[in-house]
Amino acid sequence: MNARQRVVEASVVAFVLLHASFAHAADGVAFTSPGFPPSQMNAAGQLVEDWGAVGVKLSGEGVTDAVPAVTAIKLDGVVPAAQAVSRCGTVALTLTAFRAPAYPAGVDVLSVRVEEKQGRAANVTVTLELPAKASAGLRTARLNGRAVLTLPPREESGEKARNWGHCDEASSLPGWAKPAGPCDPAFRNIRAGMGGAPIIYRFAVRPKSKANVVLGFCESHWAEAGQRRLSCRVEGAPPQEVDPIAKWGRHKPGALLFDARDEDGDGRISVVIRGAADAKDKNPILNAIWVFPGGAPPDLKQVIAGKLNSAARRYVDVGGQNDQSLYPGGKLEYRLSLPARGSQELAFFAACQGGVAPIPDASAWTAETLRRAAREVWRDWRER
Amino acid sequence: MNPSHHHHNCHCCISRRDCLKFLSMSALGAGMVGPALSAVAKERSKYANPDYVDVAKLLPCPEVRMAAAIFEKPRPYWLGWPGTTYDLDARQKEYKAKLADSSRRLGITTNLAPSPINDEAGVGAFIEKIKTEKPHGVLVILQSIFCWPWLTRLSKETGVPLIVFAPVGVAFTGHVLRLSRQPGVHVASTLEWSAAEDGMRMLRAKRMFEETRVLWIRRNERNETVMERLGAKVRAIPRDTFNLSFDKQDVSPEVRDVASDMRRRAKRIVEPNHNDCLNSARAYVTAKRLMADEQANALSMDCLGMVSAKLMPTPPCMSWAMLMDQGITAGCEADLFGAFSLMMTSYLLDRPGFMNDPVPETAKNLLIVAHCTSGTKIRGFNKSAAPYILRNHSESALGVSVQVLWPVGDPVTLVRFSNANEMIIDTGKVVSNVNTPPAGGCRTSVEVAMDNVEDCRDVKGFHQVVTYGNHRRMLEAFCQLYDIKVVRSPEHRPEPEAKIV
Repeated sequence: MNARQRVVEASVVAFVLLHASFAHAADGVAFTSPGFPPSQMNAAGQLVEDWGAVGVKLSGEGVTDAVPAVTAIKLDGVVPAAQAVSRCGTVALTLTAFRAPAYPAGVDVLSVRVEEKQGRAANVTVTLELPAKASAGLRTARLNGRAVLTLPPREESGEKARNWGHCDEASSLPGWAKPAGPCDPAFRNIRAGMGGAPIIYRFAVRPKSKANVVLGFCESHWAEAGQRRLSCRVEGAPPQEVDPIAKWGRHKPGALLFDARDEDGDGRISVVIRGAADAKDKNPILNAIWVFPGGAPPDLKQVIAGKLNSAARRYVDVGGQNDQSLYPGGKLEYRLSLPARGSQELAFFAACQGGVAPIPDASAWTAETLRRAAREVWRDWRER
Repeated sequence: MNPSHHHHNCHCCISRRDCLKFLSMSALGAGMVGPALSAVAKERSKYANPDYVDVAKLLPCPEVRMAAAIFEKPRPYWLGWPGTTYDLDARQKEYKAKLADSSRRLGITTNLAPSPINDEAGVGAFIEKIKTEKPHGVLVILQSIFCWPWLTRLSKETGVPLIVFAPVGVAFTGHVLRLSRQPGVHVASTLEWSAAEDGMRMLRAKRMFEETRVLWIRRNERNETVMERLGAKVRAIPRDTFNLSFDKQDVSPEVRDVASDMRRRAKRIVEPNHNDCLNSARAYVTAKRLMADEQANALSMDCLGMVSAKLMPTPPCMSWAMLMDQGITAGCEADLFGAFSLMMTSYLLDRPGFMNDPVPETAKNLLIVAHCTSGTKIRGFNKSAAPYILRNHSESALGVSVQVLWPVGDPVTLVRFSNANEMIIDTGKVVSNVNTPPAGGCRTSVEVAMDNVEDCRDVKGFHQVVTYGNHRRMLEAFCQLYDIKVVRSPEHRPEPEAKIV
């Protein structure tokens, strides 16, 4: 083969590859793991799942919008993946998605890599665009109760938190409880930590200050005691355990008082409800929270009746209308500080068809182990 | 496919030859080359069959890399433990020799720091080396009571599983307590080197999990996933694959030998005839071939569904017992976590387990554990087998199953992965072997008096794996090293709370 022939052949190969990648870009790129239905990265670089699409936008000084080039690639030479590359002004954005064959249904890993290209340190905000109805917790985003996305730690995201709210992996279940007799309407609703997830709230207070915190419960599932025993911790107060059926009975609203204090001086009082260690049903529930000023404790009968709501600094209808996440909804933001010519990477784990995203406290998966799993499975896989 | 094919091309794995050499020295290997069924493996040439599958080559054979170091303080020693009279050179020579011997026997590649580390700078350099080389574990031989803070630093900064051998004279309770209950750490505070070797066995067992592919034979699906934390691969294949493959398996010389062997070794044969044993041996050879073909090291099958659909003339009970006696996990009813629990006893404790259905015996307050298959080499792969009786599968009256007679009065451990992140561990003592009839249920049926469980009805789990001996501390240590939550059955029955009016 002479030099001219080689050039022609190389051009043909290049054309075919280019054409192939443009063809992918037009339709998006599908990827999967052996034996499972695929997910897709669409032409806009969004990860498309059975629950919706996840998109990534950048903002910051010198950052511009750009149309990504989406191609099919192989990671580690064997793992099929989709990659969207965009040059967004002073930075480059690379989104890479592959299917990790995590038992039982797999997990899609979306890595977001931002690289500074101008030789000047830069602050860049990565915004994750989720379906409108998705709500983000501390480490996961959920849609209709399903964990659909595992998030990098939010504390490190630089995101501004609200004055109060839940920051857990529990689920809101409005109308779950059936309180008997007159009581505050908050007793009808709960948040529940399915799978044993703790219920966690935080309330902004003056650093080191005291407060009377009242937790309201109404158990409407179990009829007998000894099933759902709850361990309740409120910062600065002795922990209390309670079996709502044993203490108050089924459908009976009850309340516990805690002499709380911002013990660590971070300007927040935390409330954590877990299933007790010896509980048969380890899924905690919580119906209401009242945060009163420190000092003389409130009359619990009056609190349960809803007559002291206006006296409370904070009244939370847990799982109901006035409940909220500690973090603002809508877009999820991560602020990155990039050194000159440097880069940072964030990894998100997305639920793929028929699966859920791994819950960090309950799962050992990491970006590294998921990648290794994909590599090892594809390495030995043969279609039959 | 060549069953001896090395599954992958990574540069770091020891060769198959080296691996088999190690296996031949280990308990697994000893079991394989021991008497009885392994005679089949020895006589491979006799069959002159290119499809012959040597069970030894089905076992996962991972590379296990371990960093090691001796931590001491600058010499000479003056006051403080272990004391001026402690012969550092002699002890270190002794422990280095033991470390080398354990590494050789367990097939672990150990990289021992060339000289003892005796200052902060040396510890820092050791940590950096570990971060770079990423071994599967680190073992430290402690030679001064003042070195404990270095261990905490080592564990925290590397995140690599840490085994500490603290011979008597280098620790008080406080030193041991702080570190020894941390996830990712195993502390052996003893003069017994075997306790440090137990830690090395844990590293090896974890690597065996990671290099295992279990065939999940059920339904009509073909896919592959990986189990979190354990790292084992789960390859789902359609259930029909097994019975179609069985149909093609003729009565080969190997099949005849296996069948004859199972009959010869039996204490008694009740229902199965010669043809049943041939079919059971065909299932055994089929299972080996399928694992080799799928590059798998273990299997778990929807056997009951297969029997129910009358797809095979025998359930695989006896075939599974034979595989388990040779270190291969063969699980019942496609119970994946039951299979991982069997794997746990095989890989860590070098003995087969007995996955069972638990039945409370309320008159005697005992737990009856029952299934139609159990390994026979319950004392260890390199130990003599327990006596067994060949029976048919009780629920279907088909084929060959086994009643293994467990030694009365001896301790047992019940282990069960609830999921990859949680293990139930209980212990007890064998009270008797239950015969069928008069009992119904499964053929191997053993009464166990539970330790520290007041009421047999409160025993947790289903398809727990019973294994011979009390291994609670070893299993708990493994769980701690790999951050697996341990659960026990409740000692006292939960009391309903009094109602407060």
